[in-house]
Amino acid sequence: MIWKDEYKIGVELVDDQHRELFKRLGDFIQTVRSDKEESKKKIEVEKTLNFMGEYVVTHFDAEEALQKKYNYPGFENHHQIHEDFKAEVAEFQQEYRENKFDEDFVMEFSGRLLTWLINHVASTDQDIGEHINSIQEKEEESK
Amino acid sequence: MDVKSLNPIIAATDSVFQTMISVKPEKGNVSIQEELVTDKEANVIIGMTGDIKGSIVYSFSKDMALKVVEAMSGMEMKELDKFVTSAMGELGNIISGKATTGLAEQDLICDIAPPQIVTGKDINISSESDKVLMVKFNTDLGEFDVGFSIK
Repeated sequence: MIWKDEYKIGVELVDDQHRELFKRLGDFIQTVRSDKEESKKKIEVEKTLNFMGEYVVTHFDAEEALQKKYNYPGFENHHQIHEDFKAEVAEFQQEYRENKFDEDFVMEFSGRLLTWLINHVASTDQDIGEHINSIQEKEEESK
Repeated sequence: MDVKSLNPIIAATDSVFQTMISVKPEKGNVSIQEELVTDKEANVIIGMTGDIKGSIVYSFSKDMALKVVEAMSGMEMKELDKFVTSAMGELGNIISGKATTGLAEQDLICDIAPPQIVTGKDINISSESDKVLMVKFNTDLGEFDVGFSIK
């Protein structure tokens, strides 16, 4: 399993979604690394890739809505990081379909994806948690 | 060559390992070498341009690279395959990106290139550099070296 509680940012909705995202990422990586017969594997890789890709969009949208709601100062920058990442996944999905099945190509992409997503969640996203929690604390105090 | 420019790289290495893998790297010896020779099998090279021209090289033993990727993925890794080297390459990219932020605080504006991976034994990574600063790190997952070669 890829998810670890240390990756939590302290915002329940986001943490739940990160856990789900990592679950789908794990399914994708496990499929990529499996010893299945090629024709079967190709279909399953595409399926788990799309399943994960869909959730990347769902999660990024929800997280960005939350950033806006709490006037997160790093919104523009974070939004751009999300856009770049979505574009990269979409580009890979297209290339994968065109390349049929290129083992090295998929292995390279998924390895980078693993490290990238862990860093994004464990490091980049932490600021959002701090920001939202500090606002919520202030709201509690003024009640 | 100013050894001070090594500090942001050390700090970034420390921070990324702790955040991403929950491992605290213990800094060992710092040495200055004529060229970058490594006995470690998994090497990630990040080219640097701008106020500092050169490269940062992260060298891991095979065993340590496998353990790092196992710690991140929760899956067993047996070989230095493309998945493992690519995951390690991105790790080097992230550390180096953070290091450039630290270098910018010393008014050194640098850009980094995408990671290159070199695997094998007793590699001489020639870089036409004047000198190479080498830092050794020890972790619970094994030892690794970070070399900073400046042209």
